[in-house]
Amino acid sequence: MSVRLSRRDLSVAAAVRELFAPGLGGVAMFVGRVRPDRADGRTVTSLVYEVDTVPALARLRAIEREARRRFGAERTVLWHRVGRVGVEGISVIAGAASGHRTEAFAAARYLIEELKRTVPLWKEVTARPSRRPPRRRGPARGRSAG
Amino acid sequence: MTRAVRVRFFATARVAAGRAALEWPVPDQGIPAREIVRSIAEAYPSLGRTLRACRFLRNGHYLDDLSERVRPGDEFAVHPPYGGG
Repeated sequence: MSVRLSRRDLSVAAAVRELFAPGLGGVAMFVGRVRPDRADGRTVTSLVYEVDTVPALARLRAIEREARRRFGAERTVLWHRVGRVGVEGISVIAGAASGHRTEAFAAARYLIEELKRTVPLWKEVTARPSRRPPRRRGPARGRSAG
Repeated sequence: MTRAVRVRFFATARVAAGRAALEWPVPDQGIPAREIVRSIAEAYPSLGRTLRACRFLRNGHYLDDLSERVRPGDEFAVHPPYGGG
């Protein structure tokens, strides 16, 4: 069982190490990364995550307990970044290990959905004006053929 | 004698309030949480719409019943809808 609110980069390899154990044949993991979304003429350059730490840690632990109770997950990780995360950076890892894939998938899904719905975390978007794609030149005018 | 509750704002509530925290005076016997919410909304009109969507915590625990009292020395957190992931 591992919950974490981290100001440092999250490591998929470290999460895998946490989840791998003898006898656990199914390991499922969701990794959330920051997308370079475009909207209103701006492109996302980073997200800044804010947290209310004490209730957030309590909620993360409660979600993990429930994932184990409900789906029989034997190992879990539920890690989230705090602070600024650049495009393609990892913002969240939710993973579960169990004897078989069905329980592992269900538990991992439960972990990430409950985190998004019930953990006091917020993100603020940092964006820059999008570069316009280069104008395509139309056919030359005023020139005669040949 | 009147002392204070520490009110903490997060995310859009912090932006609307223009500050992350403030000390809100309350009497020794405390006041219902909904009275704090109402008086904050009056003092910070820009928070009005945001507060309607918020959840409130006293000392790190969710308040499902806003008739519960908040007393001097308590921390009262204002949480807009969550957006992790």
